[in-house]
Amino acid sequence: MPDKKLHITDGLLRDNTVLSAGMIISPVIICTETFRNSVALVYAFSVITFLADIFAHFIPEKLPYAVRVIWTALVSSLIYIPVKGLTEVLYPEAVGRIGIYFPLIAVNSLVVYQTQNRFTGLDFKSFIGNLTFYILGFDAVMLVSGALRELIAYGTINNKVMDIDITIPSAGLPFGGFIILGILCGIYRKIRSSSTAGEE
Amino acid sequence: MFLITVFLSQLAGNLIFTQALGTSTVFISAKNRRNFTATAFIICIFTTIGSAGAYFAERFFGGYFENFRLFVYVLITGFIYLGVLLILWLASKKLYGRLKKYIHISAFNCAVIGTLYLIHENPENTSLSDYFFFGLQSGVGFIIASVFVSSAYKRLNSSKVPASFRGMPAMLVYLGIISMAVWTLK
Repeated sequence: MPDKKLHITDGLLRDNTVLSAGMIISPVIICTETFRNSVALVYAFSVITFLADIFAHFIPEKLPYAVRVIWTALVSSLIYIPVKGLTEVLYPEAVGRIGIYFPLIAVNSLVVYQTQNRFTGLDFKSFIGNLTFYILGFDAVMLVSGALRELIAYGTINNKVMDIDITIPSAGLPFGGFIILGILCGIYRKIRSSSTAGEE
Repeated sequence: MFLITVFLSQLAGNLIFTQALGTSTVFISAKNRRNFTATAFIICIFTTIGSAGAYFAERFFGGYFENFRLFVYVLITGFIYLGVLLILWLASKKLYGRLKKYIHISAFNCAVIGTLYLIHENPENTSLSDYFFFGLQSGVGFIIASVFVSSAYKRLNSSKVPASFRGMPAMLVYLGIISMAVWTLK
């Protein structure tokens, strides 16, 4: 059911797709090994999710839920084709490194399920606003995680050498991704609860 | 000894611990025993039947569907999704009402679509039985990971864990530690 109290910026801060809702975790854990990978995925995710969700918004609500979900996933998988081609031009080495997570980003739960749950019933303007902030929320986590992991693992950010003495190469491995995302998630919750307490 | 070897090889190739595929779904399913049993077995059905479907798509289209691979995989998963819902609805309305939410979350996720991609990327998979068993193995791997997460769920959600880290953050760190152990097995 749509949440009528949804605030337009919730997707960025209060209800972040990754840190709060726990969705689309796999690409964040595996692909944010470097900042460059994160940028390529952010580009692909933003374009595919935005376009696919706009198409999905116009699917008649009378259709059964499963049919709407499949329809959305099919549209998204078609949008993925030109986006992949363009990403290969813009970030030639990143697509190969991201591997199977690149197509998986096209059938992410924000596209496939959230549109049919959270955004149903919203007028087009509110829908676009909410969707934009949900996408920005994911993008922010990807970029922060990418920069942080590259810094910890290799001592660089976007291939620029940073002035740090100690590196932990395993931060670039999947288990490093799990642990760093867990810590980021905890910090996010702490900040969120502190800011909520401050408002009260 | 044989069973231990099988279990260790299953862990070493586990999609969640090594590739983080299906992590979000395992968090949803781990909330209670009924959830995780239903979701894990439904995902196992999706990966196994989906893999067989991917085999036939590969044979039918050959190398011509590279660009449309995701579309074809989504189509296969969509058919299984509708098929499972329909069979369940025809078999028992009561069971359908109880299980449909697990089918919804099991259909399109990284564990299912990711398995189909991994089968394609592994050149050792050539016959229908290879595809079928790879799919089944991925599904069983998901069940094992669900058992791991489910067994720790209560403790990681208890009041002894600091409020900010309670639940998902603690579970991510926990999965990271298991993943680290699995990494050494590889």
